[in-house]
Amino acid sequence: MFSLLYGLWEYIFRKVEFRILILGVDKSGKTTLLERIKTIYTEAEGLSPDKILPTVGLNIGRVEACNAKLVFWDLGGQAGLRSIWEKYYAEAHAILYVVDASEESRFEEAKQAFHRAISSQDLDEAPVVVIANKQDHTQVAELAVVEKALGTQKANRPTRPCRTQKVSATNGDGVEDAVSWLVDAMKRSRRTHLLAQQIQ
Amino acid sequence: MGMWISRLMSAFGEREARILVLGLDNAGKTTILYRLQVGEVVSTIPTIGFNVETVTYKNIKFQVWDLGGQTSIRPYWRCYFPNTQAVIYVVDSSDVDRIGTAKTEFHAILKEDELKDALLLVFANKQDLPGALDDAAVAEGLDLHNIKNRQWSIFKTSAMKGEGLFEGLEWLSNNLKR
Repeated sequence: MFSLLYGLWEYIFRKVEFRILILGVDKSGKTTLLERIKTIYTEAEGLSPDKILPTVGLNIGRVEACNAKLVFWDLGGQAGLRSIWEKYYAEAHAILYVVDASEESRFEEAKQAFHRAISSQDLDEAPVVVIANKQDHTQVAELAVVEKALGTQKANRPTRPCRTQKVSATNGDGVEDAVSWLVDAMKRSRRTHLLAQQIQ
Repeated sequence: MGMWISRLMSAFGEREARILVLGLDNAGKTTILYRLQVGEVVSTIPTIGFNVETVTYKNIKFQVWDLGGQTSIRPYWRCYFPNTQAVIYVVDSSDVDRIGTAKTEFHAILKEDELKDALLLVFANKQDLPGALDDAAVAEGLDLHNIKNRQWSIFKTSAMKGEGLFEGLEWLSNNLKR
């Protein structure tokens, strides 16, 4: 009986395509993260970090991971381009928010952009993973410091789970943990059901 | 196996890509084409028909088609759509009055089935002119944020000064399917 229900649950969710926004201030490593995700979950090799230019627009990655189809939208993070972010909110299921953990001088800016994004009505109840990126650097802030600087505790609510994850996009550490947690959170999120209803 | 061979080929040999340069009349398409090809500003006349040149950049041979942009000849653009890997859409950033028309034409191109896999590169051109909109404003004017299922990028360019053009080609060369 359980496996029958489980099978049904899997069947319903297999077709769902989850759209995940990758946000963060410029130089935090969003595109490097996207390319790492492509390398991990697809046959194709992602771009190597030295070939990545600042994004002025939209990069897309489509992968299948944890039994789900995922579409990643990676948007440019320069101050002038952040106005474009909100145009993508209403259709996104979840957020990967990337922070350069080795660059403490920009934590305040990262915090402001973070809270502006998640306080938007269009992102109501969207699960968030804050990526404390660049863990491969020698001087990185502790996870607790990043959490405090970004104010992730305020973001975490029962209806909108928010988690922080140590990641190195250049060598791939922590990427799979972040993605699998996010997929799990999206499957359980009420927002997923609301978005599915909108399409119907 | 096939993938390995093609990878090996691309490591040593040159790749080719067919690029269309589109945009309203007087956006600067022909000036961009020749700036890329000969590295100089040439004086141009309105293009009736097309110009085609080959530009080699980082092991990629770009076959660049510059099509005339006047209203009466825009319907002929579609004759050139098959086998196109990328579209460079050129906008006169100082022509604020016609940004709406530029948007309409661009979104018509997006709907074309034969271009559904093409990379989209927008040049917010004529940045040297006073009152030119910046990249974010041009992106907004063209409603680029409505594009959600394919990759796009926008660059501030000045064909007169030769700025931004090769940055655009760099983006293309990194993102063209290997």
